[in-house]
Amino acid sequence: MPGDHRRIRGPEESQPPSLYALPGQEDDDDEGAAGARDPARLRPVYARAGLLSQAKGSAYLEAGRTKVLCAVSGPRPAEGERAGAAAAGAGGRLVCDFRRAPFSGPRRRRPGGAGAGGGTEERELALAMQEALEPAVRLGRYPRAQLEVSALLLEDGGSALAAALTAASLALADAGVEMYDVVVGCALSRGAGPDAAWLLDPTRREEERAAAGITVALLPVLNQVAGLLGSGEAGEAESWAAAVRLGLEGCQRLYPVLQQCLLRAARRRGEAAGPGPTPAAAAARTPSEADAAAAAAAAAAAGADAVARDPPEDSEA
Amino acid sequence: MAAGFKTVEPLEYYRRFLKENCRPDGRELGEFRTTTINIGSITTADGSALVKLGNTTVICGVKAEFAAPPVDSLNKGYIVPNVDLPPLCSSRFRSGPPGEEAQVASQFIADVIENSQIIQKEDLCISHGKLAWVLYCDLICLDYDGNILDACTFALLAALKNVQLPAVTINEETGLAEVNFKKKSHLNIRTHPIATSFAIFDDTLLIVDPTGEEEHLATGTLTVVMDEEGKLCCLHKPGGSGLTGAKLQDCMSRAVTRHKEINKLMDEVIESVKPK
Repeated sequence: MPGDHRRIRGPEESQPPSLYALPGQEDDDDEGAAGARDPARLRPVYARAGLLSQAKGSAYLEAGRTKVLCAVSGPRPAEGERAGAAAAGAGGRLVCDFRRAPFSGPRRRRPGGAGAGGGTEERELALAMQEALEPAVRLGRYPRAQLEVSALLLEDGGSALAAALTAASLALADAGVEMYDVVVGCALSRGAGPDAAWLLDPTRREEERAAAGITVALLPVLNQVAGLLGSGEAGEAESWAAAVRLGLEGCQRLYPVLQQCLLRAARRRGEAAGPGPTPAAAAARTPSEADAAAAAAAAAAAGADAVARDPPEDSEA
Repeated sequence: MAAGFKTVEPLEYYRRFLKENCRPDGRELGEFRTTTINIGSITTADGSALVKLGNTTVICGVKAEFAAPPVDSLNKGYIVPNVDLPPLCSSRFRSGPPGEEAQVASQFIADVIENSQIIQKEDLCISHGKLAWVLYCDLICLDYDGNILDACTFALLAALKNVQLPAVTINEETGLAEVNFKKKSHLNIRTHPIATSFAIFDDTLLIVDPTGEEEHLATGTLTVVMDEEGKLCCLHKPGGSGLTGAKLQDCMSRAVTRHKEINKLMDEVIESVKPK
């Protein structure tokens, strides 16, 4: 790259070997055969929250081959134009960043978004994420502050934006940000031709061959649509409406998995933090060694019966 | 109470532990954090590895592409490393072009590749003067808790061992390349450079594998890269307090021991991933 002095220089230009593949070699079998799939099937999802030590809240989501990691930091004092001029009632700001790892797609993306395609597409998706997450977050509780959400797509196996949205809302919940509801994202795509059906949770191959695609974001408990991003050619409006309905149904089906994930993360956090301030909580959980001092102090302050209930742990660390 | 002291006087808090020859997280001065490695998880990359050193997490993805060989050495390919420290790994990094720390890490990895000759660049040449492989090694730090250089070198090595390149032939008549994706072969990895990092406290005390807080409080850092024959590939000491020759020797012997541990770990992992 001519002007980029901050990175190690490579060749000026390079081509992926897939351009020169021998005829008849379909590059890499994608999950599942080309035809004959249930149009409303959702790939099994693995979600885990609270895995990064340096971020306030974090979440990792894996759906099929799509792998996305999201971290939340803040609230921080808002910087930029809004800082001084914002009125007291302006509420907080949500800053979203979406980036793809260079090795996430079939072609390597040059880091830095120097190429117009990579840079603008990522910015569009980041904006879509921000618009979808804003209705769920109680920004009014963070005046003059900003929350930073960064999503990193490690591997693109289809429905990247939907996965990023879901991961971002899990990360926000894990960070303890006040929210009205979790945001669940779901993507659909439709092949070319008048008889093509809308496919829920498309894989990368299906998205590449699609003539139209749409991503919906839903607040499941409130049953409100938080965001919608779609484009392409899919016939009349009724077809789009059917797609949105299918997408919302997909989101509802995904919600219990996310609930379980957040519960597990909360339990893990509780165990790691050691005993709570109340003596009942202190007796119920075994204090970790590092917190033995805190436990002793809390027990002594709370009263004699607390000391009686956990005598062995009261000894010095 | 301990937490309060730690916030107000972090250095004193650390010194109390160092006097007892241990560290706040319970480790000895010469002990490493738990190292875990996971290879081949990113299917879109030609080779990938995820390394966790305690909390520090680095993922490396290698993508191979075609390019014309460099004009000054027509029989060599390219290996292009790139270390990315995104805002999600730590709140001190901003989004945008690579900052100083990322550039230093990228240059360090490039030096390690060059000095250790981990891959002979001639092996990457397909057709003299016309076509060669470019290996783009992208390292992304997912969680920054100190000792990024060790994790990056290890991730790079593991990812390169995981890379499988398709067989390429040049068609005589058309002069174009023909790639056969069904026939894949591993790279020829000549050496295994493993890095060991140390932090220097108060100009005298050396601790191994510093966490983020320890790096912040240290007066200097040192990274030693060894290969399996006990040969030194690279020594990285960016300023900081001085070290005597004897201390440097100690560091190098510690690095040799570390090399054996990591080599064993990597062999186990690669063995377990092999298709039966």
